[in-house]
Amino acid sequence: MRKLHILIFITSCWFSIQSYAQQNTDTIKKQESYGIRLGIDVSKPIITFFDKQNKEIEMVGDIRILNNYYLATEIGNTTKTTNEDYLNFTTKGSYIKVGFNYNAYKNWVGMRNEIYVGLRYGISFFSQTLNNYTPNANGTYFNSSPIEIGTKFSGLNAQWYALVFGMKVETLKNLYLGTSVSFNKMISTKEPENFKNLYVPGFNRVFLNDSGVSFNYTLSYLIPIIKKKK
Amino acid sequence: MKKQIIIFIILITAFLSCEKDDICIDAITPNLIIRFYNDTLQTELKKVELDSVWAINKNGLSAYKGVSTDSIAIPLDLTENTTKYIIENNSVKDTIEFSYSRNDVFVSRSCGYKTIFDNLQISNNTNNWIKSITINNTTISDEKAAHINIYH
Repeated sequence: MRKLHILIFITSCWFSIQSYAQQNTDTIKKQESYGIRLGIDVSKPIITFFDKQNKEIEMVGDIRILNNYYLATEIGNTTKTTNEDYLNFTTKGSYIKVGFNYNAYKNWVGMRNEIYVGLRYGISFFSQTLNNYTPNANGTYFNSSPIEIGTKFSGLNAQWYALVFGMKVETLKNLYLGTSVSFNKMISTKEPENFKNLYVPGFNRVFLNDSGVSFNYTLSYLIPIIKKKK
Repeated sequence: MKKQIIIFIILITAFLSCEKDDICIDAITPNLIIRFYNDTLQTELKKVELDSVWAINKNGLSAYKGVSTDSIAIPLDLTENTTKYIIENNSVKDTIEFSYSRNDVFVSRSCGYKTIFDNLQISNNTNNWIKSITINNTTISDEKAAHINIYH
């Protein structure tokens, strides 16, 4: 995985050099706005509306630092109940992801859309509440019934890195619709005693190989701060 | 070229990320394993002619109806700290009451929790065909070896 990330980083650097080289020969002068773009994930309130057990909110923001590079962040809060065959638990917590995006899309003059790749570092602080579990018995000779336990494991945390692919389309002036998929890989977690972090806010479901996938669908607004001649 | 690289990376990462882990393949709550030995020559296994093996107020375990065997694996009750079994050998019944403490241990997402039994004791038993009982291991955490020997 790490090798893959290094490869992407190098590839993206190379693309940026390449695009700079092309700009030098460009004779059309136009203004590009640099600024802070703030937004919200619009899918999560919809999911919350239909699934009362889940409460999710995510704010996104990015700032253009170089022609094709953006510092980017996602901040969110999650309350989610997961139901498995033999257990049921609720995860509550907040997360922040920071990193950068590289825009690999070459716009036509006057357009400001993006198809990007990015890297993130994510950290989450949360608690897990084991609502109930059913001891997994060999066979069904004795009835095993769910044990309502309600144990709360507080003060847990997790750190991960993520590879992000996404796009942003300017639909109205300065208003962007975006979507992205993020492939997460755990770096470290503080695990609860006699339980496991099976779901982590921001990381989502933790698969057996400590990886996860998360998505977002965002609506964001660009606040132009400076305009630079391209 | 750029697009191809991106698609390639997406595919690779997708494969790395999606691993099926919905099937419980780990060891779950272990059964109590009993082996039957010859009372006069205590190192020699001796088969029992089981008519039936059942926990009190339950139906017989389907695996042990009318079989000849030198070992059985029986489940313990996860809601109580005792389980009373009746073992019928050649139409002679003996009752054994096992007592234990329970400890639930997390296994995995798909398996949930398994129960480990500690302080296994024979709190009560009859001696119609059973001559004596010894406990090899007071902790039942796996099914690798017999926990109890019965001599007859």
